[in-house]
Amino acid sequence: MTVKKMKRRAILAFVQDKPGTLNKISMMIRRKMYNVDTLTVCKAKAAGVSRMTITLREDDEAKVLQVIRQLEKFTEVIRAKELDREQSYWREVAIIKFELEKKTLEKLQKKYQIEILDAQPHDIYIVQIAGPTERIDSFLKDVGSEHFIEIARTGVTAMDK
Amino acid sequence: MKGTELVLRALHAKGVKYIFGYTGGAIMPIFDEMEKQKLFTFVMPRHEQGATFMAQGLSRASLSTDTPQIGVCMATSGPGAMNLVTGIADAHMDSVPMVSITGQVATGVIATDAFQESDVVGVMMPICKQTYMPLTTEEIEKTVHEAFYVATTGRFGPVVIDLPKDVQIQSVDENYSFNPKTFRPKLPGFYYHPSPEREVVHQAIEMMNRSERPVMFCGHGVISSNAGAMLQEFAEKTNIPVAFTLHGLSAMPVDHPLSLGMMGMHGTVEANRAIMNADLIISFGMRFDDRVTGKLNEYAKNADVIHVEIDPSELDKNVATTVPINADVARTLHVMLHDPELVSKPRRRWLKEIETNRQETVAEVEAEVAAGVGDGGKLLMKTIIRRLSDITEGKDIIVPDVGQHQMMSARYYNFQTNNSWFTSGGAGTMGCSLPMAIGAKLARPDERVWSISGDGGFQMNIQELCTIMEHDTDVKIMILNNGYLGMVRQWQTLFFDGRYAGTPMISPNYEFIAKAYSLPYQKVTELDQVDAAIRTAIDHNGAYILEFVCDPSEVILPMIPSGGGFGDMIVSRHKS
Repeated sequence: MTVKKMKRRAILAFVQDKPGTLNKISMMIRRKMYNVDTLTVCKAKAAGVSRMTITLREDDEAKVLQVIRQLEKFTEVIRAKELDREQSYWREVAIIKFELEKKTLEKLQKKYQIEILDAQPHDIYIVQIAGPTERIDSFLKDVGSEHFIEIARTGVTAMDK
Repeated sequence: MKGTELVLRALHAKGVKYIFGYTGGAIMPIFDEMEKQKLFTFVMPRHEQGATFMAQGLSRASLSTDTPQIGVCMATSGPGAMNLVTGIADAHMDSVPMVSITGQVATGVIATDAFQESDVVGVMMPICKQTYMPLTTEEIEKTVHEAFYVATTGRFGPVVIDLPKDVQIQSVDENYSFNPKTFRPKLPGFYYHPSPEREVVHQAIEMMNRSERPVMFCGHGVISSNAGAMLQEFAEKTNIPVAFTLHGLSAMPVDHPLSLGMMGMHGTVEANRAIMNADLIISFGMRFDDRVTGKLNEYAKNADVIHVEIDPSELDKNVATTVPINADVARTLHVMLHDPELVSKPRRRWLKEIETNRQETVAEVEAEVAAGVGDGGKLLMKTIIRRLSDITEGKDIIVPDVGQHQMMSARYYNFQTNNSWFTSGGAGTMGCSLPMAIGAKLARPDERVWSISGDGGFQMNIQELCTIMEHDTDVKIMILNNGYLGMVRQWQTLFFDGRYAGTPMISPNYEFIAKAYSLPYQKVTELDQVDAAIRTAIDHNGAYILEFVCDPSEVILPMIPSGGGFGDMIVSRHKS
């Protein structure tokens, strides 16, 4: 089975906001060759604590448990857990620069909730779209890759319901 | 107070007596303060790697004494620190507590490729439990105390403190205060569960009571938690046989009626077959390393597994457990021993099956040991180790290097003394023996310590003979010289059509080397000289070097080839 078809998982980890924490975790991901798609970090509510969301592809339940245990082994990782897809929200943001006819853009605006950040000469637009990965993927497909100039995506952040 | 004084004050507060270190520009201030205070016994190796193994030997050997100590090694920045890498990675693999302090260039020039600068924190991060780089003098004491806490709590391991030179030299102001008695490290992500849950233990006991073909595993965790006596009592109480990992050896007498000896790649026939046919495995303080399991999908297929282990990430890592018990081994054994439901079953058929397996190769092996020499007339390692074992009654401390002789020592020495066996296991670092034996002797001065090396490993840290000479360390040194890297040669014989690539080993004249280091020496070539030579070394007051000329074609058996399962075990040279 190719990696892309494996089940996508999100792991939420609360880690100490210290230099080297990100280094240690990405080192482990490299060494163990986890199929990580995205990794986002932000400050958590508690002082000195960061919130890290890792999405990876893994079918084997036991292996996912191992990822969590290996993360918790680090002194910098306070707690790690897997987020149930059905019981949590997974969201990301994308900024896309593309060249598109105004009419096509207006059609897309009706279908998707997007914010136009910039309108430049020769039908070049910079737009922002936020939402689940699938929605962003769908939007990009509708735009058509031949129209892309640049894409910046954040990766997934997630929260339990 | 200056940073240097604070470092030493913290080390002293943690009961450190020995510092194994090698000076240099970036660590000179600490050495200078050490010289002023004369609080520690300073032991200088002749290579920083030697310091790491000396520290390891001290940590491991002192664990079972009334005054356990943590080995501390110090090196300067750049190449000094880099030379500690192997020893620290080794301690990490074998879960040995150790604190390393490296000098670092001043904070102002870090990451500018300054003279003798290296990214110690970056390099050491994956190979130790924690790295620290205090950036202010005020952080020093708390860092050292936390380092010791992390090294010695939960699963033991090495910790590295990289100390910039300016932070060493600066002083704290008069408002600074630190109370080691009230200090608690703030480690929200660091917790462990030493005590097992009673219901889980009870579940395990029920499984043990029901099982007909159980085996107990004694791993390094039994030694680390000083639980050898309890494990023996537990084995006797339940009448369950015990197999040992490499590092579990010497937790209890290896000739105990319930002992199966070592298991795994070079384990005994009876241990490995028992595991193949077991219906229940109760493992204490081990991690199901590949040398122990062989091919995982063929491992102990018929057995349920109870796994007692302090590090939760080892549970279900390699082997699926039926009853995982995340707890300290000693505490778990204590709870198990006092469980009122615990029963003893005769399990006659099982024990008889084990005995039959044990007898399968006894005659052949004993004949070989008795012959004492191989086809070429050179000495057999197994015989030398057996003679050593008989003469010392299995009571001495054995510190082998890495290779065939290491496996021979594991298999043919009749360990009687608790915590009397130290070697590089997980990493298998050649050259570990000589410096590790020095550390072990410092920890256990009233016991006899044997460093046993092959000709390859002996040359790797041969310079530590100078440390022995300088400190008059009474380490009995054996060189089992077969002119090859024996273990690799064995593989080449069995699997590479006898092409000995990179294994023939030419040694210097060890007699001259011994003389250069003012150490007595004897070469042993004949079987009838072996006993007398060993006794001469024993009777000599001080270090003694014995070189034995050994048969290169000797093989260590049984052997489970790498990638093979227990069913692929090669038991005898002669039977196919």
